[in-house]
Amino acid sequence: MARTLTFSIFRYNPQDPASVPHMQEFRLEETESMTLFIALNRLREEQDHSLQFDFCCRAAICGACAMVINGRPGLACHSKTKDYPDKITLMPLPVFKLIGDLSVDTGTWFRGMAKRVESWCHTKKIFDPTAQEERMDNALAERIYELDRCVECGCCVAACGTALMRDDFLGAVALNRVARFVLDPRDERSEQDYFDIIGTDEGVFGCMGLLGCQDVCPKSLPLQEVLGKLRLKMAFAAANHLLPRFLRREIKL
Amino acid sequence: MSIPSYATHNPRANCRSSAYLDWLQMLSGACLVIFMIMHLFFVGSVIISPSLMNGLSDVFEWTGMAQIGGPVIFFLLLLHFVLAARKIPFASKQQGIMLADARRMHHLDTWLWVIQAVSGMVILVMGSIHLWTVLTDLPITAEKNAMRLRDSAGWVSFYVVFIPIVWLHTGIGFYRIMVKWGVVGIDGRSSLRQKDALVVAAAMIIGFATLLRFIFLSK
Amino acid sequence: MQIFQSDILCIGAGLAGERVAVEAADNGFSAICLSLVPSRRSHSSAAMGGMQAALGNSAMGEGDSPDVHFADTVKGSDWGCDQEVARIFVNNAPIAMRQMAFWGVPWNRVVAGEQTYYKGGKPFQAYEKLENEGLIHSRSFGGTAKWRTCYTSDGTGHAVLYALDNRATQLGVEVHDKTQAIALIHDGVTCMGAIVRCMKTGELRAYLARAVLIATGGYGRIYRATTNAVICDGDGMAIALDTGVVPFGNPEAIQFHPTGVVPTDILVTEGCRGDGGTLLDVNGYRFMPDYEPEKQELASRDVVSRRMIEHMRKGFGVKSVYGEHLWLDIRHLGAHHIHTKLREVEDICQSFLGVDPVTQLIPVRPTHHYSMGGVRTNKDGAAYGLKGLFAAGEAACWDMHGFNRLGGNSLAETVVAGMVIGGKVVEYLKGTDRVFKTESMRDAAARQKARIQSLISGAKGGEDVYAVREAMYDALILGAGIFRNGKDLQTSIEKLTAVLDRARRVGLKSNGLGASPELALALKIEGQVKLALCVTHAALNRAESRGAHTREDFPERNDRDWLKRTLAIWPDPVAVKPILNYEPATTVFEMPPGDRGYGGGKIIPMDNPPEAATQAARAQGSEK
Repeated sequence: MARTLTFSIFRYNPQDPASVPHMQEFRLEETESMTLFIALNRLREEQDHSLQFDFCCRAAICGACAMVINGRPGLACHSKTKDYPDKITLMPLPVFKLIGDLSVDTGTWFRGMAKRVESWCHTKKIFDPTAQEERMDNALAERIYELDRCVECGCCVAACGTALMRDDFLGAVALNRVARFVLDPRDERSEQDYFDIIGTDEGVFGCMGLLGCQDVCPKSLPLQEVLGKLRLKMAFAAANHLLPRFLRREIKL
Repeated sequence: MSIPSYATHNPRANCRSSAYLDWLQMLSGACLVIFMIMHLFFVGSVIISPSLMNGLSDVFEWTGMAQIGGPVIFFLLLLHFVLAARKIPFASKQQGIMLADARRMHHLDTWLWVIQAVSGMVILVMGSIHLWTVLTDLPITAEKNAMRLRDSAGWVSFYVVFIPIVWLHTGIGFYRIMVKWGVVGIDGRSSLRQKDALVVAAAMIIGFATLLRFIFLSK
Repeated sequence: MQIFQSDILCIGAGLAGERVAVEAADNGFSAICLSLVPSRRSHSSAAMGGMQAALGNSAMGEGDSPDVHFADTVKGSDWGCDQEVARIFVNNAPIAMRQMAFWGVPWNRVVAGEQTYYKGGKPFQAYEKLENEGLIHSRSFGGTAKWRTCYTSDGTGHAVLYALDNRATQLGVEVHDKTQAIALIHDGVTCMGAIVRCMKTGELRAYLARAVLIATGGYGRIYRATTNAVICDGDGMAIALDTGVVPFGNPEAIQFHPTGVVPTDILVTEGCRGDGGTLLDVNGYRFMPDYEPEKQELASRDVVSRRMIEHMRKGFGVKSVYGEHLWLDIRHLGAHHIHTKLREVEDICQSFLGVDPVTQLIPVRPTHHYSMGGVRTNKDGAAYGLKGLFAAGEAACWDMHGFNRLGGNSLAETVVAGMVIGGKVVEYLKGTDRVFKTESMRDAAARQKARIQSLISGAKGGEDVYAVREAMYDALILGAGIFRNGKDLQTSIEKLTAVLDRARRVGLKSNGLGASPELALALKIEGQVKLALCVTHAALNRAESRGAHTREDFPERNDRDWLKRTLAIWPDPVAVKPILNYEPATTVFEMPPGDRGYGGGKIIPMDNPPEAATQAARAQGSEK
């Protein structure tokens, strides 16, 4: 114990004309059970009041504190300093617009994503407050929740070479969201509707299978499987009318 | 998005093209993987006996597979390149982004893709040379190959580079089809990677053994 | 200055805020939500447990009804709640749950047949009826007669928030995230909007709206140790209090939880103790049996918290760089049990502490958990004091929680209150026209601009805002922790008064340009200290023990003198203390005061206890 940690932190305040992007080093004594949440707050309180970063729930539930930690995107709140070497380099997430230092604007990006994939249950039904709820199989509810666990931290997007290169690529988070609604019987969208959203090179066919998303997802969502199945589903959706009957497939997620 | 943001004369843009192209990319790749394995057994048969290889060659010649199959493979190679190139960045800025990402993340699968992109370029050139040389001098016989290699250090070094690159590309390509198309799940990924690496290593060994066999093939 | 206009402005985009916005948008009104963070990061998402609603679908919830739920809620509140509001809540809760299901929440559903459940760590069998297969299931929560808590695995708040935010996106509710409301625009009679600082660029904006809703969650962050997210800093109460006319209801009603992990105060579930976990002190000695020979570690939340504090005060706490704590020991439960039944706890220990609970002790301490008090509203959610101002969720003192909140009731409150109050806001919007007074807006904006200027230039002084906050933490917990007494509260007030003076002399150390986290805090700190003073003054005045409010010097619950609600207002902005007024806790008595059946303690009865609920009153209640 009692290491002295060196933090190399990206600094830039776009609102300050005198500020230029640079890396700044801070030193801090490590304490028991120290996480980046504790370390960064101490740095701000004790060393530099202007240091910008985002935390919210600090319990890996809200996804606010994603940043690039020693090269890999991750949630700062559950990153323990003892798992890292003496020098820790912190950078803001790429792809998202920089607000300052380690803070980026994920809200605008994710709102745009939600609108683009129409992230809601499309139904023609009208809620009847006097009626009993529609029944659902518990196993199905659990499968939907499994994909609904995404916290929109942005790590999968930041770790995706495709998303870095092409800013119109939907990213794993959006494809996962679509898969969540594909599973949900309350959403009445047809396969063609889903195809219109993701059946393009900006959607599932743009995915190059780098699997950065799978490997950094802090919630361990099954993104590899979701993206793979979705690709297969959409590929057959496009090709079924050309195929002989025995080759046609309707892929279930 | 399939709803075009610009005016078109079609009520609905043809939105299936991405899907078709992705199908073709995968299928052409898969065909080439299968071809590569058959090719390996074909030329590898020289290790057992040159006459076995020549016998097989006669069958290909007699059935017309060499005359037609050869150019088909050539075409597949070109097609696969064009399709895959849709995803490969040619602007240096984007290339820089990809390389920086792979380096920063220390992420194996991103590196594998970089290897695919680079080896793909190399194979386009070397594969064309190889195919041209072989197909313009049919039928394929062990003796012809042996002569080519014995007389020229240039051809030997050509294959010393070509063999590992082709197998790397084939092996990684197979692995990537499996994970991209949802054939292998999350749990199967690392074991697939291991097995794939073993097969690639074996293929390279057979490839080099074949090369040596040709070089030292006695008249 | 940019000016935004909408029919309703929701300050806070968690469950309560968005639910009201959705109701308004559904009725054709334009809605803007302000939020410190993107809406899906709101603290609502952190609620894991579930939402109480008397659906009665599960085997262990059979025979449940809003009446049973009502009784649990009133008892839970230690009769401090507004019974009319509690009735509205329990009657609407099932509708709200079904509506959320309709909007896409993947509630866990009933699986018919023989099922194995756990109670106190022991498995037992229950038979789920075939006719209920696929309906919304429910789980057990403390203080309830029936299993009534609807849930989605371990992420109920998350799942409901995502479904609601989907609905809000669909209806075109605008969310302006990373914004900080720093003052309400009002003329002393009507609320017209808010002055808001953009936390992306630092610019000031004005938002004008015909109705303004405060839904900013709790004020846990005036305590150092709290389970609340870092955004739960009482912004909403502070700007409401700042108007001088809107009262802060029951500020002293604050719930603590016994087992927050040290240092980050993330909650570990009571299931640990339920399954046989024990509490150890610095010497590794199990102390609970000495205090509570019968129930030991299984005593209720507040009792365990109190005993832990008591033991630490005797010098048996474990000293650490993060302050004193005790140990939670679950090692003897064995690896298998921990891996399967307490996986969540294991995850928290591994991810945030680097502690393996199979072989190591877990550092825990009692920590602030929930604020029952908030902006006082009537049963329609309309705040006292200003027309056009509403409040909902934890930020409000709608008052169904009184002095102790039941687990699962608060999360349900967000969407139920959102639905009910949303309806009332719609009625209000349909019935009012509004002329915005430009001078009110100009005044408010000029005042805030000047305030920011003086903070940046250090015109009022050079107090370090983080040091002031530390001083507030220290002063508040001294008096307004779990145990309270006149002497400590008095000291606490004296110290907080000094801290208030320092808070008024804060000057920035950094340049304050752009998002500036230091400026963001500097703009809140005076308000936070004022909230802390409301808490301590109200706690000092309340000479009784009720629910979570425990006075060592007044251990009995005093229904004769204190069956009433504190209303703290702060009319003079430069004053050093609030004015405390009181109103009856409830005007309708469906359930006359009685013993809640746990927590113990003597009760001083009312002089003229009301009669038990009449059939008529009950019928009237269920109509609403």
